[in-house]
Amino acid sequence: MNQAARGAGAGRESDDQVDAELIARWKAGDERAATALVERHAAALARFAVASGERSDVDELVQDTFVRAFNSLHGFRGDSSFRTWLFTIERRLLLDRRRAEKRRRDRTEIQEDDAATEYDALDSVLADETQRRVRAAVERLSPTQREVFTLRVAEGLSYKEIAEAVGTTEGAARVHYHNAMRSVKEFLDE
Amino acid sequence: MNDCMNAEIRDQLPELVHDRLDAARRAEILSHVEACAECRDEIELLRAARAMFEAQTPRVDVRYVVNALPLAKPRPVGVQRGRAVWTDWRIAAAITLLVAGGSSVAVLRRDPGTAMALRQTVQTPPVRRADGRSDSSGSSAQPQLAPAAPSEPTPRALVATDAQGSGIGASRLGDLTEQQLEALLGEIDQLQATPVTDPEPVSLHVRENTSGAPEGA
Repeated sequence: MNQAARGAGAGRESDDQVDAELIARWKAGDERAATALVERHAAALARFAVASGERSDVDELVQDTFVRAFNSLHGFRGDSSFRTWLFTIERRLLLDRRRAEKRRRDRTEIQEDDAATEYDALDSVLADETQRRVRAAVERLSPTQREVFTLRVAEGLSYKEIAEAVGTTEGAARVHYHNAMRSVKEFLDE
Repeated sequence: MNDCMNAEIRDQLPELVHDRLDAARRAEILSHVEACAECRDEIELLRAARAMFEAQTPRVDVRYVVNALPLAKPRPVGVQRGRAVWTDWRIAAAITLLVAGGSSVAVLRRDPGTAMALRQTVQTPPVRRADGRSDSSGSSAQPQLAPAAPSEPTPRALVATDAQGSGIGASRLGDLTEQQLEALLGEIDQLQATPVTDPEPVSLHVRENTSGAPEGA
């Protein structure tokens, strides 16, 4: 076992077990199990979406993620955890959205004022000064560093789970996390 | 803000914040953190970042998400996907065979001349009676039958051979009465023999032994 993983994982197995039981119940025709699964993971998916730069239609993105997941749920083998699988699906949807957005922006003029207004509104939500500064620091990370940092800090995923979700190796995920943490600390020390 | 020199401990601080360590490891790290200012600072940063992620995220409408989900459709136990595919192929193959066979039968029924020609071809070649009349029944072969030249096909054999082409045999012989058929055969007998280009049908001919010598002498 990896030294860093020693002692870790408590609670994760029980989470995975609860998900597996809910999936089995849904496959057997219990619709309430679907609601329970959404309640367990919707907030995490929304956090990942916002941290990845999604500013609007977060509900719609989360909904699309669950619809895709449930349409493929009969083929879900449980090689990774259900939550990691959801992050993988959501990340693909985010990439598709960004490509579509880029094509749309190539055709129309960029509305800089709209983006500035959204950032100002977000700052007003974060009452704590430390949180505002942390958010500003995270905004400066590269997209991959931001994804890894969010999954590690906000969701507590292991490097192995992060690697599965973002399509990289465990070692690369660890390097991205520590580089991101160093960048955030440096920004806060300025 | 400096990093703790103990990389292994520092690597597990997110698990500590998310309470994902077993009791022994948690106690080990907590004892280190009590004496390590860098780790305490990093834990504070992790908590602030986590709070920031939660604060900036809008609440998801669970009902909105659930309403769009597909309904669960329980699958019958014991149905193998691969087996279903093989069954589909078998059904397709059976349908193809039925269509091909049915088409062949339909073509044969639509053209009775062809059907009759085929039936006559497989019948035993007719023999000629001593009185010159033909008999189509293979069971009536008698010793008094006149021998036919080996290379000379019988009229009905000619008809059968021709029936496979586009000549007389292509007409609807099945519509003729027995008398009309006999008359037609009589007329054919009177015709000059024409060279047959098609392969002769295989037929057995009984040659009457008139010399009284033993067979093979």
